[in-house]
Amino acid sequence: MASSSSSGITFKLHPLVIVNISDHYTRLKAQTLHSGESSSCAPPSNGGTAGSAPPAPPRVFGCVIGVQRGRTVEIFNSFELLFDSKTHTLDRAFLEKKQELYKKVFPTFYILGWYSTGSDVEEADMLIHRSLMDINENPIYVLLNPAIIHSQKDLPISIYETELHVIDGNPQLIFVKSSYNIETVEAERISVDHVAHLKPSDGGSAATQLAAHLTGIHSAIKMLNSRVRVLHQYLVAMQRGEIPLDNSLLRQVLSLLRRLPAIESEKFQDEFLMEFNDTLLMTYLAMFTNCTGTMNDVVEKFNIAYDRHSRRGGRTAFI
Amino acid sequence: MASSSSSSAMALRRWELENQIAGSEEADRDLIYWYDEAANSRAQQEKPWSTDPHFFKKVKVSALALLKMVVHARSGGSIEVMGLMQGKTLGDTILVMDAFALPVEGTETRVNAQADAYEYMVDYSTTNKQVARPENVVGWYHSHPGYGCWLSGIDVSTQMLNQQFQEPFLAVVIDPTRTVSAGKVDIGAFRTYPQGYKPPDDPVSEYQTIPLNKIEDFGVHCKQYYALDITYFKSSLDSHLLDLLWNKYWVNTLSSSPILASRDYVAGQIFDLADKLEQAENQMASARYGSYMSSSQRKKEPEESQLTKITRDSSKITAEQVHGLMSQVIKDILFNSSRYHQCTSDPSGPEPMVEA
Repeated sequence: MASSSSSGITFKLHPLVIVNISDHYTRLKAQTLHSGESSSCAPPSNGGTAGSAPPAPPRVFGCVIGVQRGRTVEIFNSFELLFDSKTHTLDRAFLEKKQELYKKVFPTFYILGWYSTGSDVEEADMLIHRSLMDINENPIYVLLNPAIIHSQKDLPISIYETELHVIDGNPQLIFVKSSYNIETVEAERISVDHVAHLKPSDGGSAATQLAAHLTGIHSAIKMLNSRVRVLHQYLVAMQRGEIPLDNSLLRQVLSLLRRLPAIESEKFQDEFLMEFNDTLLMTYLAMFTNCTGTMNDVVEKFNIAYDRHSRRGGRTAFI
Repeated sequence: MASSSSSSAMALRRWELENQIAGSEEADRDLIYWYDEAANSRAQQEKPWSTDPHFFKKVKVSALALLKMVVHARSGGSIEVMGLMQGKTLGDTILVMDAFALPVEGTETRVNAQADAYEYMVDYSTTNKQVARPENVVGWYHSHPGYGCWLSGIDVSTQMLNQQFQEPFLAVVIDPTRTVSAGKVDIGAFRTYPQGYKPPDDPVSEYQTIPLNKIEDFGVHCKQYYALDITYFKSSLDSHLLDLLWNKYWVNTLSSSPILASRDYVAGQIFDLADKLEQAENQMASARYGSYMSSSQRKKEPEESQLTKITRDSSKITAEQVHGLMSQVIKDILFNSSRYHQCTSDPSGPEPMVEA
């Protein structure tokens, strides 16, 4: 049912959305799991199923919001929705209410589509997709696979669009998968980093801060290095003839290499050196301040030690 | 009726959670997400916090709440923003599970900004209860862009009011500007003491630089509240996803330029530091003769002198700047150095650049 998308729209996904969906799923799982165990407690309200025996964790549904600028769709945030499992539709009134609330706080975002959890696209999803089409004529469907498979290397998130294909003479909408990038603002990146690696939260000493900063960069460079090595091995194998030549890939590698050096102008060098010098100047100033502080301490201590008997005010202060 | 074995299993898990025994299975880690209706209402009845002003000592913030708060704070730019946090209490820890933004743009002079947002809050809470988030509002957060995490006079009075009527309540302050500049999250969680209560010992708080125009406000009120320790938690699915996210994220880490992002802020800090230096100089010149009188009586000097603080501030700013510069230099070497090796046939450059 899903093939590669050809619409040419680039998707940018913010990590907040990912954490949002994951949290929604975990909550619902925790609630249903525990409502199954202690059956005498009042069943907690949830939007999905309410089983008696510990059921399979239900699917969660929600809406994704963001901005679309030209051919770029940027997904910033998401919120939960109620799903009626009998009629297989989303609760419309709820959606509008929530949308209103979110519009007040984030007036620039609008509904881009919906999300759900599961391992693959299902038939019933098309119904939901269609019902959203009156809000956004081309909604997107974000699917998160909550199964934790430790050998997985890729994010278990896929984004689907719909395309009109002619199958057996009938024009039908089918889901097609699209690729996406992860986009982030600086603040988001720092907090994700913080939570992911649980770095030391307080100042610590200057040494630990430096170590933390450099470790981050080091791991990023390691990743870059490993990726480049993979490419390198691939190219060598191609050269030896073990792998059939792929011209488009070769072209891409060539364009990548052509991009180095990144910037080569005189002006850049000047600006760069200026920034370098500015920082060195700051360091110099800080050192100065440090020295002044220490000197001041020395002078004060000296005064205390040696000027005790001139309190009557004969001698001037020792400078 | 729940069988006794399942309730004792539940009790065991609760005890483990409260004593922070690391659960090795995923189920234990995710137990924190379960909202225990019965235990919560019991806690509301008992109100153990009403007798001890220092009752709550720790705060645990979920990954989602942190992310939402930081992104919202940053999106406000240099305007203070605020929002509410939802969660529950567990012994002496307040757990923050989620946060949401309020559509009020705060200014430091509005005491009752929350009154405007009540309708929003009620609507939001009812919709939340329908989607399996039955937690109550357990605190509020707001941002102090660029001037540190502490409670101003208005904040202190707002929080005291909250703690009278909406217990348990927590105040969280986030500084998005410092977060970006320092590369680590600048966040603080506070609770105020009730009126007239004197804390038995002076709590040691982490030092942070406060701009000159706010330092008076800080000093007057800093004894009226105390800070709580913040730790973070995430679910098993969250950690899994975040690990995988790193596969795509390293690009952003490498390409971030903290120097460029916080240029304004650094300039402001240096300016402020210069003002403080001038003030310190005046202070010292006037105190030069005064100090002889008091030098005989060894008066206790627990606080550092003005100059030491300034020195510390300047070192901090410089360290951050140097970190930023290091990133820039590394990027230059990585991506620009082929310029230096144009004519050499002999591969001597750094590994990624040259084919063997």
